[in-house]
Amino acid sequence: MSAAGTIKKPQLAEQGFKYQLIAPSIFVLLLIGIFPLVYLLIVSFQGITMMDNDTSFHGLRNYAALFGDTRLWEALLHTLLFTAIALPLELILGLLMAQLFIDHLPGRQVFVALLVLPVVIAPIVSGATWSLMFDNRFGPINQIIGWLTGEEATLLWTISPDLVYPAILVAEIWQWTPFMFLLLLAALSGVDKSQLEAASIDGAGYWRIFFRIVLPAIWPVMAVAILIRGLDLFRLFDIVWALTRGGPGTMTETISIFTYVKGFQQFETSYTAAVALIIIILLSLVVFLALRRVGLSR
Amino acid sequence: MINRFFPRGGLASGKSVLWVCFAAAVLALSGCGKDEADTASSQAVDTEGKSAAQVAVEAAKPLCEGGKTITIVWEAGLQSLDPLNFSGPKWEAETGCKVKVVEVPVAEMFTKIMQEYRANTGAYDALNVIPAWMPDLAQAGALEQLDSYVDKYGYRGELQTIAATYRDNQMTVDGKIYGFPDDGDVFLMYYRKDIFAREDLQKAYKEKFGRDLEVPTTWPQFIEVGQFLTDALKSEGIYGAAMFREPGYGNFMFQERFRNEGGKFFDADMKATVNGPEGLKVFQDWLTENKFMPAGVEKFGFVENLAVFLKGESAMTISWPPYGRFAAGYLADEEALSWVPKSQIADKVGYALPPGGHPELAAGFALSVASTSKNKEAAYLFIQWLNSEEISNERVQLPYALRDPFRDSHFTNEGYIALWPDAKDYLAALGDAAQTGLLDLSLIQTDKYEEALRQGISRLWAGDDPQQILDKIAADWDAVTEQVGVDKQRAVYESWASKSGAYPG
Repeated sequence: MSAAGTIKKPQLAEQGFKYQLIAPSIFVLLLIGIFPLVYLLIVSFQGITMMDNDTSFHGLRNYAALFGDTRLWEALLHTLLFTAIALPLELILGLLMAQLFIDHLPGRQVFVALLVLPVVIAPIVSGATWSLMFDNRFGPINQIIGWLTGEEATLLWTISPDLVYPAILVAEIWQWTPFMFLLLLAALSGVDKSQLEAASIDGAGYWRIFFRIVLPAIWPVMAVAILIRGLDLFRLFDIVWALTRGGPGTMTETISIFTYVKGFQQFETSYTAAVALIIIILLSLVVFLALRRVGLSR
Repeated sequence: MINRFFPRGGLASGKSVLWVCFAAAVLALSGCGKDEADTASSQAVDTEGKSAAQVAVEAAKPLCEGGKTITIVWEAGLQSLDPLNFSGPKWEAETGCKVKVVEVPVAEMFTKIMQEYRANTGAYDALNVIPAWMPDLAQAGALEQLDSYVDKYGYRGELQTIAATYRDNQMTVDGKIYGFPDDGDVFLMYYRKDIFAREDLQKAYKEKFGRDLEVPTTWPQFIEVGQFLTDALKSEGIYGAAMFREPGYGNFMFQERFRNEGGKFFDADMKATVNGPEGLKVFQDWLTENKFMPAGVEKFGFVENLAVFLKGESAMTISWPPYGRFAAGYLADEEALSWVPKSQIADKVGYALPPGGHPELAAGFALSVASTSKNKEAAYLFIQWLNSEEISNERVQLPYALRDPFRDSHFTNEGYIALWPDAKDYLAALGDAAQTGLLDLSLIQTDKYEEALRQGISRLWAGDDPQQILDKIAADWDAVTEQVGVDKQRAVYESWASKSGAYPG
């Protein structure tokens, strides 16, 4: 009994020391992670606007207003639409490019470096660049279409309702497909080649090998890539802002643009806090479920 | 629960009140309330025989001892070259106060000013404020009321020589001064004198319409002349007109034209009336006009429209005063203006009031003092000096900056008149515009009203039905009015509508 006690005491002391060591880090994490969240929660129950610094308790008024705000739900729908189209396309294109570059082609490293360039550009710069590309008078895209069709092309890429979504998606996919490509290239490089050779010798076809060996091997990385890009797309702002500012009307307004306009142009501070909190809860739920689904939470 | 942490209207309990009193007493004794003392004292300074600029310099010298820095928010780009290259160094040389310029894109200025005010950092001393924002900023408490400073430094006399439209409309909120109008941003019509003088065109026009080809003074004439010139000159690469159509600019164009058509923004019950026949006519006319303007005109902003005009590809346009200076070509060697296309139309440009005769005082700037400034007195003196007769006459002539004439003396300044051959006509047209200009709509939460309008204009270019768009704009405006409070907003609107520049007289 006493022997057991003498063993336990140093263990406990050791554990206490460990906790003391990590306590400052935990404190800082809580400070920068939890405090803003709590503050957001508090503000969302108040009535702070541009004209009124009303910090009294307003109950669920902001949340009730949120559910009746059609512009908010439309913005959410636009965001989901962008995500639903861009994410699979970026994944497929990234995977195809990674497949292409997995073999040691001449000049591979140079090409990979060049392909990754869009990722290092700030999204707002990318958006501004694409805005010039899509310019109806001086942009190269209309010029090229004009050469191909033999007549002056006056397509209004950032105004016409039929063209705004394709324009934004092209810019978005151009910038972020290389991110998918990089991660998937790294994952593909890690696939056990002996397994591929054995399957090939056993007569398995390309697709069978891909679905039975390659895909399961790269799935954890692919899942993380999908998750990161999915969350990024949910926060889509810069490219849309640079190209259309959410227009025409509010046709391409994303949830981030809506939040920015409400929060920082119209100073509906408490209402915006409620919107932000709902988004955080929604996204946290999605991340939690996704992590459970792909088995990464273990 | 939340109420305990954030009690409404301050600390209610007796104990808390005692604590507050105690803390206030300690602060007062320790001199922490010094910032409050930095507002104007009532004692007027001796201004006898001195200009407002001299008064400001003399009063600022003792305040600037030890190298005080005045931080001023200024629009990024060409506008800020004024304080960076000219007025900032000159003020420092005369008073010892340094000037730090915080450059902010105009679309973000309101946000930055409000954010700083909310954060209460005292980061900004002086501000450039678009006059339409003044009610919002003043009511929020972000702007310092300037009447006591104006009286102390005897500036009322020189304020009276600011052109009437700006002085009477862009300086006060509820009769109190919150800013000095400092930029004569008014729309003018620029037209090609050589095209309107062409004999072949004169003859063809007379044959077709039975009257002389003249610069249009009404919108129906504008459409007629614009279409005629496009038909006649398109083969030469010239369109009858080009115009701002990008929604941010279209907002100003709509406000001007709607009122020139006889429209009123609200009825007696404060219901929006932009969806009436006047609004519909403006939208329908725009769609008609776009057909004789360059392809893609729906995207034209300041630069696109400027490029087309300076290259000689449009016979008429409407824009802010810098177009006239850029078109004259006398600034061609100015490095800061290297981005401006070389004018192909120097000496060929005429100046007139836009059709309807009541141009928009679109945006513009007023100089204000931030209420959170720790250097209010010095900041005030700096803006008085900038805005004074003496210094403003120099500033409006700076080749690279964009401050436009706004004082009566600017329109007759001999130095300005000598800048290019037609400068006298240019200044005369600006002087006329300063008599009849129309104010931007200015209410509580103006940006929400403007945002609805901008969105509506972008939907117009996307092909939506004009009446439906206008109905949506009106509904959005009514929703904002309801949110602000109908009576509260009505009071602000009536105050705005009573100004001489609100509606054509």
